[in-house]
Amino acid sequence: MNLDYRSVPYRILENAYRIVGIVVISALFSTGDGGQGSAGSSGMDLIVLVSFVLLGLAAVAIWELAYVKRYEYSISPDTFDIYSGVFSRREREIPFDRIQNVDIAQNVFQRALGIAEVRLETAGGGETEARLRYVERQEATRIQEIVSERKHGESERDPGGSDDALFDLDSSELTVLGLTSANFNLFGLVVLLFVVLGTPVAAEQVSPRLAVLLFLGPALAAVALVVLWVLSGIQAVLRYYGFRLVRHEDELRYQRGLLQQYNGTIPLSKIQTLMIRENVIARAVGYGNLAIETAGYAPGQGSDDIESAIPIAKQARLFELARTIENFGEISFSRPPKRARVRYVGRYTIVVGILVALLGSVHLATGTLADWYLGVALWVLVPPAAHLKWANLGYYCDDNYVITRSGFWTRRTTIVPYYRVQTVSVSQTVFQRRRRLGTLVVDTASSGGFWGGNGVALDIDIEAARQLHETVHDRFQLSARERQTTKRRSVRPGD
Amino acid sequence: MTEGHDDIDDRSSAGRRDESRDRDGSGTDGQRPWQGERTVEPPNSGPETDSADPAVTSERRLQDESTAAVSIAEEATGADDWVDLGAYLPSGETLLSGEIPAEKLHEYTTDRRSLNPLVQIRWALRVIVTALVAGLVSVWGLGALNVAPLWSGAVTGALLLVGFVWVVLHYRLWVYQIRADAIYLERGVVTHVQSLVPYVRVQHVDTSRSPVERLLGLSTLVVYTAGSRGADVSIPGLKPTEARDLQRRVKELAIEAEGDDAV
Repeated sequence: MNLDYRSVPYRILENAYRIVGIVVISALFSTGDGGQGSAGSSGMDLIVLVSFVLLGLAAVAIWELAYVKRYEYSISPDTFDIYSGVFSRREREIPFDRIQNVDIAQNVFQRALGIAEVRLETAGGGETEARLRYVERQEATRIQEIVSERKHGESERDPGGSDDALFDLDSSELTVLGLTSANFNLFGLVVLLFVVLGTPVAAEQVSPRLAVLLFLGPALAAVALVVLWVLSGIQAVLRYYGFRLVRHEDELRYQRGLLQQYNGTIPLSKIQTLMIRENVIARAVGYGNLAIETAGYAPGQGSDDIESAIPIAKQARLFELARTIENFGEISFSRPPKRARVRYVGRYTIVVGILVALLGSVHLATGTLADWYLGVALWVLVPPAAHLKWANLGYYCDDNYVITRSGFWTRRTTIVPYYRVQTVSVSQTVFQRRRRLGTLVVDTASSGGFWGGNGVALDIDIEAARQLHETVHDRFQLSARERQTTKRRSVRPGD
Repeated sequence: MTEGHDDIDDRSSAGRRDESRDRDGSGTDGQRPWQGERTVEPPNSGPETDSADPAVTSERRLQDESTAAVSIAEEATGADDWVDLGAYLPSGETLLSGEIPAEKLHEYTTDRRSLNPLVQIRWALRVIVTALVAGLVSVWGLGALNVAPLWSGAVTGALLLVGFVWVVLHYRLWVYQIRADAIYLERGVVTHVQSLVPYVRVQHVDTSRSPVERLLGLSTLVVYTAGSRGADVSIPGLKPTEARDLQRRVKELAIEAEGDDAV
């Protein structure tokens, strides 16, 4: 089968801006180099420029036409085969049972044209295994259906399998989502930027006495916070508009998005870890989100951003939903020992010290910050900060799961089933050694970005960490063995 | 474990029954083998075939065992001193149990071992290169600040000193052990890390030798898992024969562990 021919004009437009951009930029640079280029030759330049743009567009058009014409895929009983490439041909076979997620993405323009992108993710490689850009909308759904069918073996599947609705996002939840999805990673940076940039300006324009106790910097930072908040809220609402999660036999299916529509499947057998994330605002109103991580690449967004399966829900409901996927019991977290908190006080004190030293050196260099030493007052924030950091840490393990929690700005509760564990390790830095603390890291194959996938019990007692190390490992061995036997049992009848 | 044994008995007896069915021709093609396993012997099969069957199968098994013994002998006399594990095990138990019997395990596992001392030279070379680069950068950087070049020398010297101490400590702290169910590693001066890599999760095992390692006669064992966070584990500073030996052990243990990779 081929790609849809309507994808040719779309692909041309998609790439055209790049060509135009390159030509324009190179033209700008060349005239800049020329220097003496007089007014008389500018008309000539324009013609050359336009002809280059047209040439580029023609090249893109031919290329895209050839690409689409030479892109073929076919569905064999066990594999999804793709033959692609204009000059260098590539044949790729993807076994159905290795496919992790199947996603369909469609933005506004694609919807107008009636085409969609299909992505097949496997655990191997650093990128999406197959991207069909683009096929007809119905064809996309058909591929999705076929993949999930082939994965389970057609025989045991009744055609009209029922969809079991797990979650529908209603408008009030969407509102909460908009209000609570603030991107705090950026916030810190912006605040820092404005405080650093703002204070010298404030020192010149406002009274020098208030220089350190800041004015303009924080004010700008506050504005930036609000702007970012609004922007990320709008983004979240657009992303998750009309979110719906259903359970279809043994896979989860979701759809979401207003402008860019997504539609994806997550096979239950491929789920690595669950993560419940509550940022500070959401936590205040008792909400959070649930991320389901597989070993495939996170669909939709870039690789750092894990897909949340449930964008927003009340905490109790989140845990209830998580329990329908992984059946963990009541969680009672153990906290790290109190001396860990002392460690954070020390750490933040050092941060404040560095900040004051920076202010001092600015004063030395420019002489504008006479009261630089007042920065020490920031230290009043240290004990509460250390406490909050400590209070949000926790770990818990039962017979089947190890569950860890950390983070104040965004509290992440990671649920790792033992049978998904890849490696277990205990690490101890020199600073931790002084206080007899250690960190337990439970690694899985999940691809959930920087934060994702790994159960990390931070700064727990070193003895407890070592013990937990062995416990997790033993339970993992046990569950792996158990799984092996049950699998053998369940596989045999099918063969 | 008991469950595993159940499994084995179940499977092997089923296999025998299937064989018998094929011989007396009562097996129908449309029937799935697993269904045959559950059904009782068809009543119409003659009594004499029934009685003959166990004899035939036991003969077969004897044959199997004798060929296994031969293969053991072959393996043992061969240039390769490594003996196929399966040959040692009683028939039927090889592939299914997924476990090396306890009495054979010690052939695979090791004590806590440290690395070959030569690896210190390798690390020291790295330290020297780093210190020299840092020294050059500091000549340039401090030169811009009009600080005497002597300080650059001091920087380089200090880095070298710290580096060498680090090398010695790093060497002393490095421990690895091939355990029954996992590879155990312990390493790190500033951050001390102990990790366990279960064999079930091993994807593949490499030995690699960089030019420096070749000069020193060293080799590195690299064990890959499907884990996400830099979980690929390497053991540096091994003699090439040792590295290959370890590679073989880990490979065999990983094959025996025969789990899914949980991906």
